[in-house]
Amino acid sequence: MGSIALHDVTKRFDNGQEALRNVSLTFDEGSMAFLTGHSGAGKSTFLKLLLLLQLPTQGQIVVNGVNISQLPRRRIPRYRQHLGAVFQDHHLLSDRTVLENVALPLVVTSMRARDIATRARAALSMVGLLAKERLYPSHLSAGEQQRVGIARAVVNRPNLLLADEPTGNLDPALSREVMGLFVNFRRIGATVIVATHDQHLIETMGVRVIELDSGRVIRDEAPGA
Amino acid sequence: MMGGDRDPWPPVQRPRFAWIRDHWRVSRDCFTLACRRLWSSLLVWLLIGISLALPAALYLLQRNLAAAAGQWDGRPSFTVYLQTGIEIGVAEGIADRLDAQPEVERAWVITPQQALAEFSEGLTITDALEVLGENPLPASVRATVADGVSEGELQRFIAEQSAAEGVDEVVLEKAWLERMAAISDFVGRVGWILAAVFGLGAALVTASSVRLVIESRLEELSVQKLVGGTDAFVRRPFLYFGLFYGVGGGMVAAMLVAGSLVALEAPLVTLFDSYKERLTIEGMGGPLVGALLGVGGLLGLFGALIATNRRLKQVELA
Repeated sequence: MGSIALHDVTKRFDNGQEALRNVSLTFDEGSMAFLTGHSGAGKSTFLKLLLLLQLPTQGQIVVNGVNISQLPRRRIPRYRQHLGAVFQDHHLLSDRTVLENVALPLVVTSMRARDIATRARAALSMVGLLAKERLYPSHLSAGEQQRVGIARAVVNRPNLLLADEPTGNLDPALSREVMGLFVNFRRIGATVIVATHDQHLIETMGVRVIELDSGRVIRDEAPGA
Repeated sequence: MMGGDRDPWPPVQRPRFAWIRDHWRVSRDCFTLACRRLWSSLLVWLLIGISLALPAALYLLQRNLAAAAGQWDGRPSFTVYLQTGIEIGVAEGIADRLDAQPEVERAWVITPQQALAEFSEGLTITDALEVLGENPLPASVRATVADGVSEGELQRFIAEQSAAEGVDEVVLEKAWLERMAAISDFVGRVGWILAAVFGLGAALVTASSVRLVIESRLEELSVQKLVGGTDAFVRRPFLYFGLFYGVGGGMVAAMLVAGSLVALEAPLVTLFDSYKERLTIEGMGGPLVGALLGVGGLLGLFGALIATNRRLKQVELA
């Protein structure tokens, strides 16, 4: 459950600037793709549209058969409960411990406290930070904060995992580990879209690459092409 | 919903009693946070308390005035002023005749000497006879009306007595209490107006305080929404803040009114004593304290709703 189709999507801001222009793409369930391009190419806007943080000016975004750009406001939370998002600047809560930060997507679903703790610890274990569950984000390095953000994104076993420069603060070895984690999620049916500048990752991971330039798709390359 | 019969994002299965557990968790967290920010919480409680105390005090005053007027209305008294020169024995006969009437609870004679003594009290003159030369006051009969006598029956009875032989005038002594009833009505209306104005003020104080709390937690809210927190989930802690502020303000109001009552009781009793009337002051009582807490809580919730509805719609991760 994670197919995505963009039909002729354009995003134009109030100042007239177009972040995306007539983008049409499809992502099969369980697929993985890198979204690349220079700064301002439209990668972040692309992800924000899928997160419903912004709405397209024209076109349709269909996720699992539902045009999410017309999703009623009251149904947006339920849609987001099935997403995972990783941001370059983490968006961790400074007054919550690592465990509490990771548990947040489960807390909003009213899961039992015991189950929340179990699943949050499992996610922390996946990113190698179980020993630091009681620390606050300010006590972690940038790389560790990024891994907490990743644990939070995957803790609810999302159908769709969106990541904006998830390896920006990680060393090459850890970057590959994180990517391995994303690949695992893809294998259990999640669709994974990663926006990145990391050419080394793009070249070595062997997944689909979509390149944006000034809001247009200029390359859409399947693995092995 | 478009495309297919199946909901692609079914609601997450919530365990039984999850709703109660969530509320318990949030209320506990909010209470802890309100106590942690004790100084600012105290200020808010005081502001709301003052806003609620004034209308509550006026309400209580109105109830006491109405009760006093009501007590008197049930047993008004009247004085039968006799013609000058009437013998005391005749006065006693009139008193006995009135005492036998079903409309009268009790009747007794006020001798000219007693009347002069009462008159002297009013003038604060030690010996009124020195001023007046001789006692000009006639004997009179004072009577209290029996319970259950209606206003119409009383008026008819007074008219009959006025026409009786030897009677100069019959005066129904309730004019000042009629004025008190009017004052009570006026105080009641002022109380309602102040309750509306100050109630709105209390709600706005809460809204402003809750808004400050929201502003200090904007990033948390945007992250909660990003990970799928519903509006109700995101709004819940702030509604509890409003509730705590409102109920706390109600408690402060109850304390202020109770303190004021203690301070005002002695002068009020003295005032009523001057009218030969015994005053029993109605205190706060459980229902009024409960009403203050309830109204405070509702106003707090209302204020919090205003603040959250206005602000939370704009909160999204940029």
